Amino acid sequence: MAAVIKESKTDRIFLLFTYLFLGIALLCVLYPLVYIVSASISSPTYVNSGEMWLLPKGITFEGYQRVFENQAIWRGYANTILYTVVGTLVNLLVTIPAAYALSRSDFVGRGFFMGMFLVTMFFGGGLIPTYLLVKQLGLINSMWALILPGAASVWNIIVARTFFQSTIPKELQEAAHIDGCTNLRLFWKIVLPLSSPIIAVMALFYGVGHWNSYFNALVYLNDEAKYPLQMVLRQILVLQEMNSSRIGTATSGETAMAMNARADVAALLKYAVIIISTLPIIAIYPFLQRYFVQGVMIGSVKG
Amino acid sequence: MTHSTSSRSNSSKSGFTRFRAPKAAAVVLSFVLGASLLAGCSDSAEPKAGSQESAANVNKEGFPIVKEKVTLRMMGPDVGVQKWADMPAFQEMEKKSGISFQFDNPPLDSFETKKNLTFASGEYPDIFYAASLTQADEVNYGSQGILLPLEDLIDNYAPNLKKILDDNPEIRKSITTPDGHIYSLPVINQQSIWYRSPMWYNGEFLDALKVSEDKLPKTTEELYDLLVRFRDEDPNGNGKKDEIPLVSVKLDDVRSWLLGAWGIYGEDIYNDANGKVHFARTEDGYREFLTYMNRLWKENLLDHETFSQTPEQKKAKGANNQVGLFQDWHAYFTHGGEPTTNDPMFVPVKSDSVDQPAVAIHPGLSTGSFAITESNPAPEASIRWVDYMYGYEGAMLFDKGPEGLMYETVNAEDHTKKWLPLPDKFNSREDYRGTLTPNYGTPAPTLLSTDLQKGLKEEFDVWVDKQNEEKILAYDPQPPFPILYLTPEEQAEISSLRSDMDTYVQQMEAKFVTGQEPLSGWDNYLATVKQMGSDRMIEIYQTAYDRWKSS
Repeated sequence: MAAVIKESKTDRIFLLFTYLFLGIALLCVLYPLVYIVSASISSPTYVNSGEMWLLPKGITFEGYQRVFENQAIWRGYANTILYTVVGTLVNLLVTIPAAYALSRSDFVGRGFFMGMFLVTMFFGGGLIPTYLLVKQLGLINSMWALILPGAASVWNIIVARTFFQSTIPKELQEAAHIDGCTNLRLFWKIVLPLSSPIIAVMALFYGVGHWNSYFNALVYLNDEAKYPLQMVLRQILVLQEMNSSRIGTATSGETAMAMNARADVAALLKYAVIIISTLPIIAIYPFLQRYFVQGVMIGSVKG
Repeated sequence: MTHSTSSRSNSSKSGFTRFRAPKAAAVVLSFVLGASLLAGCSDSAEPKAGSQESAANVNKEGFPIVKEKVTLRMMGPDVGVQKWADMPAFQEMEKKSGISFQFDNPPLDSFETKKNLTFASGEYPDIFYAASLTQADEVNYGSQGILLPLEDLIDNYAPNLKKILDDNPEIRKSITTPDGHIYSLPVINQQSIWYRSPMWYNGEFLDALKVSEDKLPKTTEELYDLLVRFRDEDPNGNGKKDEIPLVSVKLDDVRSWLLGAWGIYGEDIYNDANGKVHFARTEDGYREFLTYMNRLWKENLLDHETFSQTPEQKKAKGANNQVGLFQDWHAYFTHGGEPTTNDPMFVPVKSDSVDQPAVAIHPGLSTGSFAITESNPAPEASIRWVDYMYGYEGAMLFDKGPEGLMYETVNAEDHTKKWLPLPDKFNSREDYRGTLTPNYGTPAPTLLSTDLQKGLKEEFDVWVDKQNEEKILAYDPQPPFPILYLTPEEQAEISSLRSDMDTYVQQMEAKFVTGQEPLSGWDNYLATVKQMGSDRMIEIYQTAYDRWKSS
């Protein structure tokens, strides 16, 4: 029926502007992506001089070749996958049950626990005390230092709690109880199967977080063999930066030459590494996007 | 619905208590955190180092250093080439000295963070090696007793170092903090000359314009004329007017070289021959410099991307053979290709207002390289260990690895050496060197004397030395400002003064040079900088300088 109605002139102008703005937004988002892809297969000289601004110029695959030869990058890749998988599992294991428990109105002390959770959103120990805590727990230089301290994100617990509150009706729970179902069984057999959207969203939130994080690794890990991919990437980029800023005061000519050589390699590797490290997330995203939009909306309905 | 039933039953008070709950929790939390902090500190209260027992275990001369083997914990930056434990330099030294190490090597790029965390955590390594401790670190942690004062240890256990400090009192002055103690040992570098990497002319441009090396500009006007020729006469011969006569990134690279034309030694704080401290950015000569740079800008002689480009962009222009005059460590870093003797070094130019250009050289010293902490059980052995690096043999061991790998001695009398062939799996000697010693790309405690390179110089190195001789050392150069320590109070005042001033000065420089602000605005600029406290800043540095001089 709606299609029959003829669009008025103002409607059409409105539509035109909508397309225009969306088009501009698309360009803004697309350009950096295309640029990085092009830069990764262009000669660094053209990239640095600004001659390569959209399409690849002086095509070379040396960057990729070097990436594939570089053991540190692959080791980082394996580490990142391990940390992301294990980390996300731990996150879900902690977040979903906590959120469900907090969503139950008959949970005694709910207000108190929620309050305690909320405190941590506004007050944190700061870097040094947190570091000391992790150190005394004996987690320094272990993968658990990246996983345990951030296992429960209060923000995500609230989002998941709101989901449970608004989608799992109380009647369902009462009916199950009347049939003699225990709380544990209720959670496993009834609540979880109904919650796949929120689980997917939480997995994506946490997973992307683990994939992109480098700061915890920077602070807690000492052994380069344990570095996640983002740290390896950071190392490559920082070494290049450092070269440019420090070469003026380098202590010897030999050092300067070594740093210069490293900078050349870094320039070559930079964009290829960015592509390789972001590719998995980009590849997974379309499959989870459906849940993603849905889940975020769910979380936002009731605060 | 979200409110729990229990709090609701508490009637009117419920709102009150619910608000208080987080507060109470915060108090509890802060106690817990406070306690963990204290716990961290109390852990470090181990027995004070430097007991008689540790001294008794040390041989005063010769090797091994210790009678009974000692293992110490060392922290230093890893450049990612080789594990320190596998480096022949350390292995050889362990064999000689009887001291072995447990290494903690955060990568160079995150070393600063890790170092600060280590100090904060209260569990220190026994030794910091090549650690780039800042002067503030030394003053802070030294006064807290975390870093041990080294002067007595040097007197009793470090003959090489003691001799250097006695022969060069200005080095001793420069590593002594205001409380009279030495908390760190320096890198002493007698090989380095450049305060900033030099500027170089594009040799191909000069050849095309038939300018021979002895005809290079010696005054600012001659330089101007040459830059005009770079611009107009198509020296790269591609038929396009794409030459950039003078290229720069934010002027940081070329400023200090050109300021010399107006008698200014450094781009920031410097002292003149009479011991008076100046701030370059308020000097008349700096105004002349701005006028000159503005002229270059207006006539398209200075790269118009100066204030927006990155060093990588600058290098790309160099590799494209577009630039005439540029700064870099070696010309080929920017110009591209292999090391070449075809790109001559910039000759310092002078303006009419001075008789001779002011030229800066490197002070040959950087502090904060080596320190011993309070947790070290064997400070005497540690200082004897590092003292070896301040003699020829030890410096050589840690500069090029044990003899017979990279080099061998030709004449033991005058220290002449020659290179050995490079193992196949390495692309360059530097790559190989990185696997032998930690002194690769790090500021390690040592004496880099010219003797170390005897016989090992390539043709290119010899040429660079000659350029240095003719174009820097011939101009009676001086370090702009001695290396000295500020007291914590001075440091704090300087930091607060500078935070705004530096930004303002930097912005105004760009505005003056690009002509966005006419030079008639100079008086205004000067008044603003003075109002921001430049006079007070000079006064503080003058006090520090006088203290340094008289110590």
